Amino acid sequence: MAVFLRNLVLSPSTKYLVKNVTLAKNVASFSTCAQRWNKAADELDELPDPIDLATGLEKRELLAELAGDPDPFNVKIRKRGAGTRDQPTEVPSAFEARIVGCICEEESPSISWMWLYEGKPKRCACGHWFKLTYKAPI
Amino acid sequence: MKNHQFHLVDPSPWPIIISFVILNYTIMTLMFFNTKLYTPMTISLTFIIWTMFTWWRDIKRESTYQGNHTSSVMVSMKYGMILFITSEVLFFISFFWSFFHHSLAPTCELGLMWPPKDIHSFNPLHIPLMNTIILLSSGISVTWAHASMCVNNLNTTLKSLLITIFLGIYFSILQFYEYISSPFSISDSVYGSTFFLTTGFHGMHVIIGTLFLIHVFFRMKNIDFSFTHHLGMEMSIWYWHFVDVVWLFLYMTIYWWGK
Repeated sequence: MAVFLRNLVLSPSTKYLVKNVTLAKNVASFSTCAQRWNKAADELDELPDPIDLATGLEKRELLAELAGDPDPFNVKIRKRGAGTRDQPTEVPSAFEARIVGCICEEESPSISWMWLYEGKPKRCACGHWFKLTYKAPI
Repeated sequence: MKNHQFHLVDPSPWPIIISFVILNYTIMTLMFFNTKLYTPMTISLTFIIWTMFTWWRDIKRESTYQGNHTSSVMVSMKYGMILFITSEVLFFISFFWSFFHHSLAPTCELGLMWPPKDIHSFNPLHIPLMNTIILLSSGISVTWAHASMCVNNLNTTLKSLLITIFLGIYFSILQFYEYISSPFSISDSVYGSTFFLTTGFHGMHVIIGTLFLIHVFFRMKNIDFSFTHHLGMEMSIWYWHFVDVVWLFLYMTIYWWGK
């Protein structure tokens, strides 16, 4: 018997709206039984996926990390490569110039900072070569 | 073109507005102290609340709807909250300092005793013990909420948050009852002054923490969080634990040791 009642569903995940429910299925709603706390079929029981919920830069960062780029903003420390004039260490940037810091020796107490320009490989005072490579912004 | 992970905020009117509103509130409160005219103070307080609401609404928009809070922005926000809570701890340390200053060596005006002569202090095993149990239980339920959030269980998170909010409100009600039934007032010797100043500020922090949790509850219902990005919730939980810990010290020193 489908008797429609105006029933206040007191579930914490509803918006306390008055809903149409059938008597046959919701007899427990009239009792003090914990049944009334159970969620309705159309309610979320978990929050959306973090990437679905995210937007803007936050989402692009998450997607870049998912795509296998652990350093989407090119700010983390990287191991130097061979560093010769023919095989300079490539430094990614989305701009035509950026600042690079070279840890010349393993125990160096300081970092040698320098500007690096597009198309102009640069040699640090320690003899290590760097070259700017273009990496599209995220 | 922006290609960095930091959030350089847009020009906002709220910092300057809140500065002037707080200045106004200070003056109006002093006016209330001197003339008992409370309407200007109330109006000023309304403006403070309105500015806070709009400022935090903008932050919500910047994070949830514009996606400006990248992982490193989240880290800096956490540091900000840690520093804020540290400053709050020091704020309460000043009240405890004052309490111990007066209670450890009571002057002859107090009768060389603590509590001072003819001050009937509260029995720590009555309402204060109940309040301790309430706050410790709310600490459990808020941890439950956080744990449910981390496993992406929205239903349990909302239920346990509701329990925490209920316990917070219950604490405030009991504290209010204790205040109205108190046999001493804020002007009854330094005991009354330190007692009501310290427990009063703690009570205000409980109310703010409860409002913060209620705000988080509605944001959760509005689906503003995900199980990896819910800074507002995390910070409300930190704040709640801070309030909880302050109460434990209050209970141990002012209610129990200082009885």
